[in-house]
Amino acid sequence: MTATMQPESEAAEAPRRGGHTPGAGQKTRPRGQGLQFGHWWWALPGIALVFAIHYVATGIGGFFAFTNWTGIGSFKITGWANFEAIFKDPTKVGALSNTLFLAFGSVLLGNIAGLVIALGLNRVLKTRYILRTLFFMPVVLSPLATAYIWKYIFDFDGPLNAFLTAVGGADQAKPWLADPQWAIWTVLVVLVWSSTGFAMVIFMAGLAGVPAEVEEAAAIDGANLWQRFRNVTLPAIRPAVAIATTLGIVQGLRVFDPIMALTGGGPAGATETLATQVYKQAFALGNFGGGAALALVLAAIILIFAVIQQRLTRSNPED
Amino acid sequence: MTQHRRSAGLKVIGALAVPTIAALALTGCSSSAGSTSSSGGSKEFSLAFATSNTIESPFQVLAENYMKSHPDVKITFNPQPNDSYDQTLRTQLQAGNASDVVVTSPGSGTGRSILPLAGAGFLEPLDDAAKELLPEGSASTFGSDGKVYGQATEITVAALVANETAAEATGGFPADFSSLQQQCKALEPSGKSLFALAGAAPPNTGLMAMSLAASRVYAEDPKWNDKRAAKETTFAGSDGWKSALEAVKTLKDAGCFQKGAAGGGFDAITKGLASGTSVSGFIPAPSWKQLESAGGGSKFSVRSLPAERASNSYVFASANYAFSINAASKNKEAAKAFLDWAAEPEQTKAFAEIDGALPVTGLDKYDFEGSAYKNVGDLIKDGKYGPLPNIQWPNSAVYDALATGVQGIITGQKSPDQVLQAMDAAWGQ
Repeated sequence: MTATMQPESEAAEAPRRGGHTPGAGQKTRPRGQGLQFGHWWWALPGIALVFAIHYVATGIGGFFAFTNWTGIGSFKITGWANFEAIFKDPTKVGALSNTLFLAFGSVLLGNIAGLVIALGLNRVLKTRYILRTLFFMPVVLSPLATAYIWKYIFDFDGPLNAFLTAVGGADQAKPWLADPQWAIWTVLVVLVWSSTGFAMVIFMAGLAGVPAEVEEAAAIDGANLWQRFRNVTLPAIRPAVAIATTLGIVQGLRVFDPIMALTGGGPAGATETLATQVYKQAFALGNFGGGAALALVLAAIILIFAVIQQRLTRSNPED
Repeated sequence: MTQHRRSAGLKVIGALAVPTIAALALTGCSSSAGSTSSSGGSKEFSLAFATSNTIESPFQVLAENYMKSHPDVKITFNPQPNDSYDQTLRTQLQAGNASDVVVTSPGSGTGRSILPLAGAGFLEPLDDAAKELLPEGSASTFGSDGKVYGQATEITVAALVANETAAEATGGFPADFSSLQQQCKALEPSGKSLFALAGAAPPNTGLMAMSLAASRVYAEDPKWNDKRAAKETTFAGSDGWKSALEAVKTLKDAGCFQKGAAGGGFDAITKGLASGTSVSGFIPAPSWKQLESAGGGSKFSVRSLPAERASNSYVFASANYAFSINAASKNKEAAKAFLDWAAEPEQTKAFAEIDGALPVTGLDKYDFEGSAYKNVGDLIKDGKYGPLPNIQWPNSAVYDALATGVQGIITGQKSPDQVLQAMDAAWGQ
């Protein structure tokens, strides 16, 4: 096994480095026989399944974006009509702006909160292991289940309004998830809460690689806390920032289940996103062609922002 | 050498395992979810229906009664949650593995509607027994070219379900729209409401708007949908529809809905009506029975929404559910035998009693006075009723535009004109 796991050059050098190798002096076994375990074609069934399930299915779905298929029966090819309809419909344009707002809002706030928590729990604090678990918990829990708990909290008869009433703010009590001004912010709170723990873990992994000696040296040189963070810590964890923000944007752009559970896209489309619109158009309203077109738009947006974000946060310009 | 032999053995096993597992997986994927062909006369079939609460479905109760009276028949039940039933049904029909008998809806306004499913060739034409059950004037919603693809199961009234005990405590249910507003204002300070509304559940806001349109649009012009289909009128150009949506704001301003109604779900209706903190709700009439069993001794009945003028009182009553047979079924004989049995007058009567609805046959002899339908009995006997409008609308997007639009009117996001224009736009999709 060892021989096949090592890179070719390293495997070739191993006997020279070791001096005495078990089996040395015996007749050398021909390369590629006996111990070699595995052939490239063994991966073919897996490749075929991935190709069939991911790429062929996606390609067929993409094809329906150019049709008027309702989900059953026959269809006609309608060219770019579904895409034109998307950008003419204020609901879809609103869904696009909500999608971008929730994605960038949750990435920005979730990463700032995650970084602050990661810095706070990086060293020194004795209860850091318990606190890390608590902050990471929302990532492990089902988004759908926690969304229903949040829905109860934000309900008109829920704990938040009961608290406001108890402290004399009864006039501020409102159906948070059905308020046109507040609903999108309420959804953002839930998304930030659920994404903070994930960002925290990535930043903690990044911070583990920052040598304490460098920070100490900076402190001895007279750098204050902000200067140490800005000039020592942040550059060192730049790869972690890139990963956390990229994954956060992709996750934020395609967010679906918390919104369906919290608001269903309401009130009157105020929290509708591209993902919820894809579902409604394709599966609830029988406009499969329109839903497929929206899904393609969403995929293109995710791809564009992921690439832009990667380029902005890469640590080495030559990467 | 041992290792060589083991390696070679593994290669053989690996080479065999991959296609074997793939074959097993593919076999599993292609197995039928519903239709199982039985040997020796096909006495076995499957039945798919939607469920929306924990109470046993009337479709299941009826089918169990059939099995009791026909011991040699076995029915496999495939219940689906109501909110995913339409999509599941369409996917299974498309894949050819839907149940033998499926519950559908007449018209073309929903995902389970008969006309688009029949048009795509997924439903089997039914025989004379189904034709005889067609409610008057609704043949066009059950099929085309003289063929019928659904067998009506009951007449469902879509109006108000009222907690009569709570209504009596508040001075009785209002008789007209003006006194309705006054009663709303009188109830509001006590923390009670005349209506419980699930503002965050579009089906409920849509039903409320259609109830308001009953006396304002369909009482005066029962054929309004036909005119809209012929492009002789539009929603935005209809004074009746405009008045109906303006009435939504009137009801809100008068305090007719419970506090926080815009964010309420269906639980707000059941809680409000069962506890008596709300007097009535816009829900399908058969719910009176379930509420009465959970309402702690309160009496429930079905009422029409008070009209601005008593002469314009109108109610929606139509066959909203039907049995259909999957065209790809391998057990059509057994399925047809069940539908023939369900079409017998005793069974239609029994089904209506199980569900708390009106029977699809013998309505002229029905004892309204002794039932929960006594307040709408005169309207039905006088013929002042028609089918639920969205059954006749061309797609579900029109109803969605109405339902989400009414939510927008309640929250102040949209005006009645905007909603009506969105409905016209959805009609043409």
